[in-house]
Amino acid sequence: MRNTERLCLAHLWLAFAAFVGAAVLGAWQMWVRSPLGAHTGTPGDYYMSVTAHGVAMAYVLSTFFIMGFGYFVAVTALNRPLPGKGWAWAGFVVGVIGVLMALVTIGLGKASVLYTFYPPLTASPWFYLGLVVVVLASWVWCVLMLVSLAAWKRENPGRPVPLAMFATVANAVLWLWTTVGLAVELFYQVLPAALGFVQTVDVGLSRTLFSWTLHAIVYFWLIPAYIAFYTMVPRAAGGRLYSDTMGRLTFIFFLIYSLPVGLHHLLMDPEHGNSFKFIQVLLTAFVAAPTVLTIFTIPASLEIAGRLRGGRGVFGWILALPWDRPMVLAAGLSFVMLFFGGLGGLINMAYGMNAMIHNTAWVTAHFHLIYGGTSVIMYFAIAYEIWPRLTGRQHQSLAPLRWQLWLWFVGMMVMTLPWHWLGLQGQWRRVANFNYDNPIIASWGPLVIVSLAGGLVLLASALLFVRNLAVLHRSVLPAPTRSLYALAVDPPRRVPAALNGFGLWNVLVLVVMLLAYGFPIAQFVVAPSPSAIVHRTE
Amino acid sequence: MAEPSEPRAVDRLWRIWPSVAVVAIVLTGALLGILIIPVVQGRSAGIDAFTAICRALGILPGSPASPQIPNRNPPTPVSQVVWTPSVLQILAEAKPERGRAKVQEVCTACHGEQGVSVSPEFPNLAGQSGTAIYKQLNDYHTGSRTNPLMTDIAKALDGSTIADVAAYYAGQPMRNPNPYTLGAPDAIVQLVELGDPNRNIPPCAACHRQGAGGPIDAPVLAEQRQEYLTSQLKMFASGQRRNDVYGRMRAIAAKLTDSEIDGLAAYYRAGLR
Repeated sequence: MRNTERLCLAHLWLAFAAFVGAAVLGAWQMWVRSPLGAHTGTPGDYYMSVTAHGVAMAYVLSTFFIMGFGYFVAVTALNRPLPGKGWAWAGFVVGVIGVLMALVTIGLGKASVLYTFYPPLTASPWFYLGLVVVVLASWVWCVLMLVSLAAWKRENPGRPVPLAMFATVANAVLWLWTTVGLAVELFYQVLPAALGFVQTVDVGLSRTLFSWTLHAIVYFWLIPAYIAFYTMVPRAAGGRLYSDTMGRLTFIFFLIYSLPVGLHHLLMDPEHGNSFKFIQVLLTAFVAAPTVLTIFTIPASLEIAGRLRGGRGVFGWILALPWDRPMVLAAGLSFVMLFFGGLGGLINMAYGMNAMIHNTAWVTAHFHLIYGGTSVIMYFAIAYEIWPRLTGRQHQSLAPLRWQLWLWFVGMMVMTLPWHWLGLQGQWRRVANFNYDNPIIASWGPLVIVSLAGGLVLLASALLFVRNLAVLHRSVLPAPTRSLYALAVDPPRRVPAALNGFGLWNVLVLVVMLLAYGFPIAQFVVAPSPSAIVHRTE
Repeated sequence: MAEPSEPRAVDRLWRIWPSVAVVAIVLTGALLGILIIPVVQGRSAGIDAFTAICRALGILPGSPASPQIPNRNPPTPVSQVVWTPSVLQILAEAKPERGRAKVQEVCTACHGEQGVSVSPEFPNLAGQSGTAIYKQLNDYHTGSRTNPLMTDIAKALDGSTIADVAAYYAGQPMRNPNPYTLGAPDAIVQLVELGDPNRNIPPCAACHRQGAGGPIDAPVLAEQRQEYLTSQLKMFASGQRRNDVYGRMRAIAAKLTDSEIDGLAAYYRAGLR
């Protein structure tokens, strides 16, 4: 087991090291975009920084956190050793090499194309190869999750897979589907361009392929938060999960409906007709389904806990909850951010309203609130919850943990709410600097300074987070042995085969993807559109 | 205990109904998005059902909800160079050795064998981007740009020779591609790095630095001849030179003061930061 714990810690520490570096860059970017730091650095510095921030947060933090947490769940939820530990370590080493390749290339100024690539901009091939290597490493993880599940099922025929592992495998399956779009874009279009084999690139096709990845990847990042909601929060609050079936359905919904919806990122793009935009917007509306199930199930689970703790009346159970426990506090704060982020998301997915906020700071604010807020605050809570198990040491005091979570929440709200408003005013995204001499832009200045303050609070919280984990490694208190995962009110003895595996759902994903993306992608092959000239930024 | 057949019946229901539901949702979307909405919207715009559906699918241009006004204005290009894949392939396959022979024959007298010009009014070509040299030679060839010396020389060259010459000079190293510019006034450095948003002047570095994000035919300006740069900026400002696509350089140069033109030319003589 020690080796597995080292494996988890290696992944998680790599994720959080990238996170702290990216947080520093993020604060710097807020500074240079504000009236206080205007004229600091060149646009080249800014785009280099944004690329590093995006790659570190979106690819390194998320992927390695999810891998580390997945290995942890596979061992603790299934209560059996991890198969293929050598492969897991090999995947980690390869992943580290990939991260270094990408980050060094960015640092040399040869890859300032942002983490979403934006062909026909083309960076040094080393940048893309580094990211390909990271994705390959994550596929090793996916395979190991599937192998773990299959081995457990062989040993426990007919028994329901523990929900935490079911959800983790759902995420692994989702990730395999998600990365197909990105992989095709990189191998078929971007790498040949970066290597100089082709001189033009069909930008419509590359945007379409990236949209395949772009929305589902967000759910890949979000699912660990939902795993914590369903399996850790009810136990931490001292209650039970209201419904195990709701949990399974939630993760299945994520698998089916997060993939065939990417065209809603291309509502302003001319290469697609309205029909398929409409179909995918309709499917996007169904992505709300798992969240609706969750905001019913998790508060119901917490109500059970609150009433067990003596809470009375319509709202009394909320006050009775143990808000001093980091997992419960983080879940509450995460739900508040999910509320605002979700409302913003409804605007983004609506064809007409999207036109108002497309390519403005609103969008940046939205994804920071959902990923940086809702998801990452649960990454913190998960880390605080599993670190004692990984190190055998207990937190000496929970107060710095609560401080850190509150700072993250306050910082994220103070940063993103003004940012949303600025987006409505028309503030552009992906812009290196603003001319505050212009009266309209000058009127944005005060709110930009407010969101800068939020960014600085976030930086403080990020540093405190790493400090909290580092302190734990030196703690002398031994960790108590207790179960991590919540029991359901009505623990399932048998579940329908469809809710215990992914065979059916993979077939349905394939069918839905063919219907939703078949024509939008095939049209580029049947009737190629004019291509853009490859623009090498090296 | 349940009968063994009972779980299997449950499993079957769980296979059938979710499949029916998921496919029904997509097909409902298709019915609305491909048929009903385009036809209804098209009808109120006076567009027949078939055209409306084709527009909604993106097979025909235009929104299904509005009539399309055709554009009958003929294009009046300022340059005949079009960066098609075939042109880019010619450049990618150009042979610098073949270019060297042509260079020694016709270019060396003014631009130097290594691309360092013999006189300040002629531009340095060493290390210049191949696409920039290709565009300018082609523009001389077609008459989009004129010069008493260059016009006749370029008219005698064909496309692949132009590409070879461009590749030859592009392969000559700059002596000092990215030196620090010492002593340039802050206002000039600001113009290069950030432009002047109040006058709608974009930063020079956005296009004229190696690997910058502008049009691919934008020349690299590091180590260019000061006198040449001054004269070109003034010709853009007056409209005497007009082979810049979309009139970008004419628009920018017309907003620069004489002292800014001199300052920028001096800045670029030394090279980029």
